Amino acid sequence: MAKLQSSFKNMLLSLTLIALVAAAALAGVYMLTMAPIEAAKVAKQQSAIMQVLPEMEGMTIAEAEEVNGITLHKAYVGEEWIGTAVEATTEGNQNMPFGGTFRLMVGFNKVGDVVRYVVLEQAETPGLGALMSTWFCNPDKPKSNILGKNPATTNFSVSKDGGDVDAITASTITSRAFLEVVVKAYNGIAQQPMLIEAVSGATQVEAPAAPVAEGACPYGNDPATCPDCSEKHCQKKGGQQ
Amino acid sequence: MKQFIVSPAPHFHSGDSVRKNMLLVIIALLPAYAVSVWQFGWGALITTAISVAACVLFEWLIAKYILKQKSTIGDLSAVLTGLLLAFNLPSNLPWWIVIIGALVAIGVAKMSFGGLGQNIFNPALVGRVFLLISFPAQMTTWPVPQGFATSYVDAATGATPLAAMKVALTGSDSMMSAVPEMWDILIGKMGGSLGEVSALLLLAGGIFLIATRVITWHIPVSIMATVALFAAVTGWAGMLPESVATGEYVMLSLCTGGMMLGAWFMATDYVTSPMSNWGKIIFGVGIGVIVMVIRTWGAYPEGMSFAILIMNACAPLLNLIRPKRFGEKKKA
Amino acid sequence: MKNKALNTVLNGILRENPVFALVLGMCPTLATTTSAINGMSMGLATTFVLICSNVVISLLKNLIPDKVRIPAFIVVIATFVTMVQLLMQAYLPAIYEVLGLFIPLIVVNCIVLGRAEAFAAKNTVGLSALDGLGMGIGFTLALTLIGAVRELLGTGCVFGLNLYSETYGMLIFVLAPGAFIVLGYLMALVQKLLKK
Repeated sequence: MAKLQSSFKNMLLSLTLIALVAAAALAGVYMLTMAPIEAAKVAKQQSAIMQVLPEMEGMTIAEAEEVNGITLHKAYVGEEWIGTAVEATTEGNQNMPFGGTFRLMVGFNKVGDVVRYVVLEQAETPGLGALMSTWFCNPDKPKSNILGKNPATTNFSVSKDGGDVDAITASTITSRAFLEVVVKAYNGIAQQPMLIEAVSGATQVEAPAAPVAEGACPYGNDPATCPDCSEKHCQKKGGQQ
Repeated sequence: MKQFIVSPAPHFHSGDSVRKNMLLVIIALLPAYAVSVWQFGWGALITTAISVAACVLFEWLIAKYILKQKSTIGDLSAVLTGLLLAFNLPSNLPWWIVIIGALVAIGVAKMSFGGLGQNIFNPALVGRVFLLISFPAQMTTWPVPQGFATSYVDAATGATPLAAMKVALTGSDSMMSAVPEMWDILIGKMGGSLGEVSALLLLAGGIFLIATRVITWHIPVSIMATVALFAAVTGWAGMLPESVATGEYVMLSLCTGGMMLGAWFMATDYVTSPMSNWGKIIFGVGIGVIVMVIRTWGAYPEGMSFAILIMNACAPLLNLIRPKRFGEKKKA
Repeated sequence: MKNKALNTVLNGILRENPVFALVLGMCPTLATTTSAINGMSMGLATTFVLICSNVVISLLKNLIPDKVRIPAFIVVIATFVTMVQLLMQAYLPAIYEVLGLFIPLIVVNCIVLGRAEAFAAKNTVGLSALDGLGMGIGFTLALTLIGAVRELLGTGCVFGLNLYSETYGMLIFVLAPGAFIVLGYLMALVQKLLKK
């Protein structure tokens, strides 16, 4: 067959034909892959939630709820509430991370202990701040491991600031931001009636007061109500600009 | 009978040589080095010895077995690279990291381009930046200066003044207390790389180099003027935390981190800086702006090495600025 | 004939290796080779597109008027790239996550359009397929090699298999500057070996 001449008719016809065939082929592949792609997306979200929650038979996840920019995924076995996976970010932190913001999924069991956490998104320095995805869950280093600890009874700030958690070597700033996000995630569930009930029912203690992000004034920097506003921590400018 | 040698001008030689210039730079570095040894003790000596030995060894090996050319270790440039590399490292760095740094400085930054005079980037800085990115934890854990007194195995580590200031700039005023007193900064009683701690003696070494005409004033002075101006504008614009005075911030910007070492000893490297005087001034202003931009808004607390390397890349472009030819007429 | 076929394949793998000799497609080469498996996945995705587009274009070469050949080629290539993207997203979501951004960029990868223009538009279907195969294998091998070296030096692993402690890994090799350094030295090495 001889090569087609570049006449207007030929160009129009051949391009239209090619575009039509290509569109049809793509439509076919799209129909074919639509279901698996949806499934993969849902599976990803589910697996992040499942990873941070205690392993239990027949667990179901309730609809996501949003409280103050924090997303709660509550988990139930039958009717019983067994824990919450909380998605929180560094947005609005007192302690900003080193590079951009990061997003965590933190799982709490029904008394508020940290079960596991997953770093969903981060832009910290590789080899320094980026180590957070493994640093705070290393069973060989109990001083930096936050798993199984409860923000209500353990001081979730770095040991340099008088807390109970060892910061990542040479990455104190990232560590501060990380711990603040975990505390923020905890605050998201601290007000939930189920936690208050579960804690008082199980351990006969008062429901834990919402812990305060380290370094911040518990009275919201208000000298009228804060008894120690003469102290240094309250003279700080509130929040990040 | 002696043969007459016929050759084009010049016929007089001042006796200047690569070796002599390198030797003068090394001499200029020695007072500051003495302070480092006084502050950091054995760690400083060991790190320098490994760095210098490794640089010379790699240069000799590569010249002999890979490039198969005459060895150039006699001109002392490898010794100087080793010394400057060591000046840019924390004194408690593990030995194998120092050796990797020397291999990158000599092998990648210098010999890959064909040896002395052909490298685009300052070899010691390439070595340092390579290590900084590769081993960020080890490269940013600085020993607190404590001389020969204590054991180095579990020496305390602390932040550099610049790291403390960076945190202070982002709003946490309390970190400012970690910035040492001005006098301690001047004599080098602060955390940091080996050779960056004694601002005063580095300055003295730099002035010695100008006096002996090894370097000209253009690059260091334009860098420091730009940095001082930038810091002052930062202060006037109200970007500093309240507890820091503008003047104090200007002094801190000039005397901490790699500023002195970089401005006087690294940026003035002949091979990687422009030749004309105006070229040198633009080069210096560029370094000053980049370093302050990195310090103020970047992810790293210090950007001297990055700033010099970026401007190194611009040096060939700046070499387009040439002096007028003798007798050349201005175009109408 | 058999000899010519073999030559066409070998040509792409060695003498005209897209990465080390033609220096084409540098964007995916530098960006996706953070590990051996990522490099190989990118290489295989490109190989698939190369073979398919080469075959289709050499089939259609007489149907496409010269003046509109570039748009026509791009449509064909983009179709296959989108297919790869959808298929990967559906069946290999983990790899898609890493390579995601770079898969659509295969469309503008110089190798694919370059081979369509320089080879497929002038040769028979069989030879074009072999050319696509050879170039694809060459690209995949190069990317896998760069990925393996970077992974080994950066994290102490190859294909996730730990060879030495991660403490000694030089992080720079997993980051962008390491890609340039490794590419430069490998290119020099390959050129030296090929000259012998």
